[in-house]
This record gives sequence, C-alpha cells and structure tokens, in this order.
Amino acid sequence: MGGNAVTTSIAISSLSKVFRKEKKIITALSGFELEVREGEFVCLLGPSGCGKTTVLRIVAGLEEKTSGTVKLQGREITSSGSDRGMVFQEFALFPWRTVRKNIEFGLEVKAVPEEKRAVISKKYIDLVGLHGFEDSHPRELSGGMKQRVGIARALANNPKVLLMDEPFGSLDAQTRNLMQKELLRIWSATGKTILFVTHSVDEAVFLADRIVVMTARPGKVREIIPVDLPRPRERTSREFIGVRGKVLAELDEEFEKARAKELSHD
Amino acid sequence: MAGIVRSAYQLVSSNWRKVALGLASTAVFLLIWWLYAAWLRADWPFHGTPSGAWEYVPYPLEVLDAFYLSFWSHPVSGLYMGEHIYASLKRFFMGFILAFALAVPVGLLMGRFWTADAAGKPIVELIRPIPPIAWIPIFLVLLGVIRGPIAIVFLGIFFPILLNVQFGARSVDPTLIDAARTLGARRLDIFLKVVLPFTVPYLMTGVTVGLGIGWMCIVAAEMLGAAGGGVGYFIFVTAGNSQFPYTYAGMLMIGILSILTTGVAGLVERRVSKWVGMR
Amino acid sequence: MDKKVIIAIVLAAIIVVGVASAALLLSKEDKGGTVKYLAMAPKDMKAALTTDQVDAYIAWEPYVSDSVVGRVGEVLVWTEDIMPNHPCCVLVLRTEFLSGTNGLELAQRFVKAHIEATKWMNDALADKESQNYTKLVDMAVGFTSRNASVIKAAFEHLEYRYEMGSSFDSALEQFTDMYIDLNMTTSAKLGDRGYTSVADFVDRYVNESFLEAAGGIAPSATILNPGSPIKLGYLLGDLHQMAQVVAQSSTATGTGKSFLETYGLEVEDAVGAPFASGGAEMDGFSAGTVDIGYLGAPPSILKHLNGGTGTTIIAQANIEGSGLVVAADSGINSLRDLVNKTVAVPGPPAETSIQFLLLKIELERQGLEFVVKT
Repeated sequence: MGGNAVTTSIAISSLSKVFRKEKKIITALSGFELEVREGEFVCLLGPSGCGKTTVLRIVAGLEEKTSGTVKLQGREITSSGSDRGMVFQEFALFPWRTVRKNIEFGLEVKAVPEEKRAVISKKYIDLVGLHGFEDSHPRELSGGMKQRVGIARALANNPKVLLMDEPFGSLDAQTRNLMQKELLRIWSATGKTILFVTHSVDEAVFLADRIVVMTARPGKVREIIPVDLPRPRERTSREFIGVRGKVLAELDEEFEKARAKELSHD
Repeated sequence: MAGIVRSAYQLVSSNWRKVALGLASTAVFLLIWWLYAAWLRADWPFHGTPSGAWEYVPYPLEVLDAFYLSFWSHPVSGLYMGEHIYASLKRFFMGFILAFALAVPVGLLMGRFWTADAAGKPIVELIRPIPPIAWIPIFLVLLGVIRGPIAIVFLGIFFPILLNVQFGARSVDPTLIDAARTLGARRLDIFLKVVLPFTVPYLMTGVTVGLGIGWMCIVAAEMLGAAGGGVGYFIFVTAGNSQFPYTYAGMLMIGILSILTTGVAGLVERRVSKWVGMR
Repeated sequence: MDKKVIIAIVLAAIIVVGVASAALLLSKEDKGGTVKYLAMAPKDMKAALTTDQVDAYIAWEPYVSDSVVGRVGEVLVWTEDIMPNHPCCVLVLRTEFLSGTNGLELAQRFVKAHIEATKWMNDALADKESQNYTKLVDMAVGFTSRNASVIKAAFEHLEYRYEMGSSFDSALEQFTDMYIDLNMTTSAKLGDRGYTSVADFVDRYVNESFLEAAGGIAPSATILNPGSPIKLGYLLGDLHQMAQVVAQSSTATGTGKSFLETYGLEVEDAVGAPFASGGAEMDGFSAGTVDIGYLGAPPSILKHLNGGTGTTIIAQANIEGSGLVVAADSGINSLRDLVNKTVAVPGPPAETSIQFLLLKIELERQGLEFVVKT
C-alpha cells in the first residue's frame, strides 16, 4: 500500500502496562513503541503472554495504560469508542440480535435514523458476503459467517482503524485460509488501517505489510519485519518461505525465553 | 385464532401416544377414586356398613356437578365461582406486578454493582429462606384480609425473580460488553442494549418459578384469612360447612388456574427466548 | 426492541383485561343492591369500625354496648327488631357423653345448675337496687373485661331464658329453612342424618327431657365426678352466656359453693375455650373435647346437619341481645344505606352465626344481596 501522503494512524510511544495479580506485580508491557501508517496492515506476533492482546485492548480503550502515550491520528486515546472498531476471537456477537441488527448496533448507539441504518448495514452485509442472511441469528451461522458479521459490525461505524484480536483463531484450517483471503479483499475495498494480533506466523506473513515480533514478557518490540511481497501471496513460494523463516527465527528465541520464565516462576 | 386451533390439533396429533397415555392414567386415577368413595359408602360394588368418614370423599361426578353448579347456581358466601376466581386473580396479579416491578430493577442493580449487592445481601439472605406462608398471620393483621394475601403473593414471587435476574445480570459475557464498548456504547447503552436483553431468559425462569409459588401463597393466605373471598376462601368455607363436593371443586379450580398461569408463563418464556435468539 | 412485538403485547393485555371485566360483569346479576360482609372476631369489631375498615358490624353483647357507651357507634337495628323473641344461645350436649359414667345424671344436674343460675340472674336483673344485681354486674365486668356502664347498658337488651317450647322449636325450624334456602345445607343432608323433614329434625334435635327432669334434682353434698370434670365450652366474652359464669361463681348462691358444686359437679374449661365462634366450638364437640357448651343455635344446627356432629340441644340460654352498629356520625339511617358498604360479622367462619343469619333474613326482605367482600 503506501498511499500518497504517509500519515501516521496509530502512534504508540513508551507504552508500559503494569498490574497486580494476587500478591505479584506483573509488567505486561515495558517501553513498547510502534507507529502504524494510514491504510497499513500490521500484524502483532509474539509468544503467549507477551502482551500483544494487551496492546490491542489499550488502543481500543478497553484497558488503561500505566504510562506512555497512545495516539490515534495525533489525538490521545482516552477511552473506548467506535472510531476503533474491534473484531474478537470469540466473535462476541449479540445472540438475541439478527445479523442485520448486530451490524446496526453501533449505528443505533449513534442514533442514526432507521432508513440510513438499513442502507449502511446492507452495504456491509454485501461487502462481507452475507447477502441473504440478514435475518438469521448468530446461532444459525457457521464460525466463518459469524466472523464476517463481526467484521461488518465493526466496519459499519466507519472506524479509523480496525483492531483484530486473533479473529480466525476459532476457525478450522480451511475456513481460516478462506477468511484470510476474504479479509484482504475487504481491506482492499475499504482501505482501513488494520492492527492484527495473531499466533500464527503463516497468517502474519500472508496478510501483513509489516510484522511486529514482540518479546516475551515484559513485552516490547523485538523486531519489525517488513513483508514486501505483492498480493495475492503464494504460501509455497520461495520468497514467502524466506520471510517466514526470518520471522520464525526471531520468534523461536522469544518462545524459549517465555518457556524458561514460566518454568522458573513455577 | 384458527392458527391456534390448528397448532393445538397438530400438537395433539403428533403427540397422540403421549396424550393417550395421559388420558389413560387419568382414567385409572378416577376409577380408583370412584372405587374408594364407593367403598366408604358401602355402595356397589361393595356392601356392608358405610364408614363414618364417607362424607370426606365425594364421588368424582359429584365433584364435577358441584364444579359446574358453583359457576351458575350455587354461590358460596353469596358469590359465584367466577367472582371468587376474579378475586383471587386480582390479588394474584397485583402481587405479581408489584414483585416484578421491584425485583427486576433491584436484581439488575445487585447483579451489576457490587455496592448494591453488598447492601442488599444481608436483607435478602435473611428474608428469602422464610416461607412466605409464615408471614400470613402477620400480614393478615397488618394489612387486613383483603390486602394481606397480596403481600404474601408479593413475597413469594419477589425472591425467585430477584435471584434469577441478579444471576443473569451478573453472568453477562464480559466480551459482549467489550464489543459494545468498541461499538461506541456508553454505560447506559450497555445497560439497555446488552445487559437487559441478556437477562431476559433468566427473568423468564424466575417468573415461571415465582408464579408457581405465588399460587400456593394466595390459596394459603385466603384459607387462613378466611374472610376475603377467593378460591382459597371458597375451599375453606365449603369445607367448614362440610360441603365437600364443593371443596374438591375448589381444589380442582386451583389446579386449573395454576396450570393456566404457568402454561401461559411457559408460552411467553418460549416466545421471548426465541425472539431474543437464545433458544 | 421490535415495535410490532410491543404493540402485540399491549393489545393482548387490553384484550385479556377486557374479557376478564366482561366476564365479571356478566356473572354478576344486577339486583336491588349488594351489601358486603367480612368475618372477624367480635373483639376486633369496634376497632375496625373506628378505623373505617368496615362501615358497620353486628355482634352479641357486650360488643354492641361497647361502641354505644363509648360513643363511637350507634345501633342501627337490634336483632329483636328483626325477629322478636328469637332464640340465640342454647346449651348443647355431646350425645356420646351420655354413654360415659353417670353421663345422664351429670347432664341433668348441669341443666339444673343452669336453670338455677338463670333464675338467679333474672331475679337480679329485675331489681337494680339489689345486692345480687351488683354482684351480677361485677361478675360480668370480670368475665367480659368491660366497664360497668357498658355492662348495664348491655343488660337492657338481653333476656336470659332457659325454657324452650313450641315457639322455640318453630324459630329453629325457620332457621333451618333459611339455611336450606341459602344453600348452606340441603334437604338431602337432613335425609343423610336420618330425619324425614325439618320439623322432624327440630323435634328430635331439641331434647326437653333434661328440663323436665330438673324438678327432681336435689343438691348433692359430694362431687359426683371428681377427677373427670365436665368439659365446658363457651364463647369469648359472650354476655349471653353469663349463666355459666354465674353457675361457677361461689358468690351467687350465698352458701359459698357455686351452683355447679351445689349439685355435685366438677367442671373445667374445654380445650380451646373460650371459642371465637360457634362453629369453632362445634368443631370441639366433633373432636370430643367439649362435653357441654353454650353457643348459638344456628351453628349447632348447621354443623350437626352438614358435619354430622353428634349433639343435641338441651336448654336455651338467652334470647335476643345482638345489634347492628354503625359509626356514630356515619349518616347511615337504614339498611338500604348499607349498599356497597361492608359489615363485619362474627367469624370466621362467617355464615354460621345467628347474627349473620338474621341480618341476611332482613336484607333479603328488603331485596338486598349479602355477599362476602373480596
């Protein structure tokens, strides 16, 4: 991507998060730095417990930071809002609402009039490919379809960024691959800035413009690896495997460190 | 209306085996009852000397007869069965509405705010285990025989609704709240659009349970108060006058009313759950 | 929330309410007017009147004079105006008692004591200056916990009478007919108890033999039933039943012995005495915990017919002596003014007392309904 004027969407500086769990003080993040450009697709990758989800939640405004600054388009983030849409691993759809009503949730909160809501929700239902399922309830949908609803629901509010927390983690391998392709399609149609948290190196290499490899706890940026491959990317191509290898190398060391820390704390 | 009849027909025809078994067991029950009554009276097919207690077990047909008569031609204490039913239902619904109106907000508050929970807990835990029936003598004196039963019903229905709503409100999936927040919802939106709908199925459970308890309460209160009309009163007075076929008819009426109210509650519960998408 | 669903719920609620009201209105035939009643213990009636819980009440003395002398109420109608000389309280015997040791003799002696006590009372009441009158008032004050002025006012409307006879019988027949009319008992029940008709029933239910035998009863120096006292039933604070108070009092006879002791009887309160209503006392008879008791004639009739309680009436205790009281400034001047108002009647159970019966009779004469308040 890139765009004409390179503007910063998300600017995270010296972010740290400390909390107390029982009697212990846990430093989840320490000095985390990241700049995400407008329209970029950035993946956060790291061992379990490295704080990648915490970063996402702080950007979303769902958690408080302990110190540092987090800015969205130059303005500091103080609380949650629909300008940062979020997609969850467990889908988090409202079971008592239909697909259409789920998508319209944020619009209702903003008191958008009914006719306008219908137009917007139809647009995004079509975008994510759920035409015909407007009046179904979440329990009637497969995992992949549910996540499409999740994505449409967040996008319907025209957020400035889309935050995605391992959104395909609950799906089976085939659906996952399909949804990754679908996500890229939606991304190219909307041009949103995406900050995507994942466990999976393959997924990160397939999707991201840049991959942020995080250290084990306390989390900070270990290495940022750009993925300059043109899309659509071939998972079996030599370049793909090359980037993958590079990322894995960084990651494995952190995994070892995380394991050692876990063992020593037991 | 035709739809209801059609679905009732469908219900019966698709479950005819269950219906048949139910009818058969009812018939057996009636037969045993009839035989017992005949035995007490030393009527055919028994003979001998009648037992002293024969009055207390009328024939099933006598009960049916009394049931029918009580609506049109045999008033008890000057009122027909329809009017007694109206009196009981009026009090029952007043107690229900009061309980509902109070238990839902309090339950929601206690489920979402630890302050409300801590404040309310001692009182709830103290009063809840006391059977509502124990309060009858007190309320009958404090509130009189007309309004006393309403308070008893209130107590009986209040706690099941409160506890179920509280539990439901407490159980709201936190991820749903997170999702709502990322969609721009503020506290009030979260309460109205997430907590409230989530709690509805729990509320319906509480209502169904409460209705059953409420009926027991109203009947007991009317019987003990013995002065304000109603189906419980009907039973008490006719028993006191040894008009036992009417007593049994009154008991039958209570069974019917209870089935009707819990049946309606169950229907509403299923409907609401489906509408809310949780079933 | 779907607007359609909300509309549907509201419509459904309206329909339900509409149907229910229609059903109610249809089931209630429009007659001349309806007076409502509420059962409560007579001791609570004055308070209920003053707190506006009820608009009127009907009870036996001294509960009538209570309100009158206390200036909170006035009598709208005395039961003697509804049915002059109507029987009120009677002396009832549990028939199985006769099969006990000396049962017959004990019962006869009790009736004798009752007769003597009643005579003593009537003499005392005839001469207000007499010492016995003062004694009687004192006993009544003690028994009813009312002050003397209330008692004296009450005595003005009371007459103690032990004789029965044909007018007594015909009054009971009238009561029984009323009860059949009211569906509170049926002719079938008469048949069940082995009576061929109302007249037959009254004839056999009222037993004059004890009164007749009284002439031949002499005092006894010793107690005939030591250790197994007669279990006596009576109603709480019922001035009609003073005979039993007098019969047990050691001051009335002047010999230091009570009338009962004079005739060789040991007596004790039955379990549950004093009873709140005649119906409750009849239950005591059924249970065998009451041997002889004072209560209203109607409940003893009703319970015997409906419940098969094995009892028989062996003497009368008083006639008249009940009144319908309304609040002092109520503006209620006739029974018609009581339409849609509430009258407290003795109970529960409500419909068994003679006060209820007589009021019902009078209301029906005026074309008014009398139904329980809901």
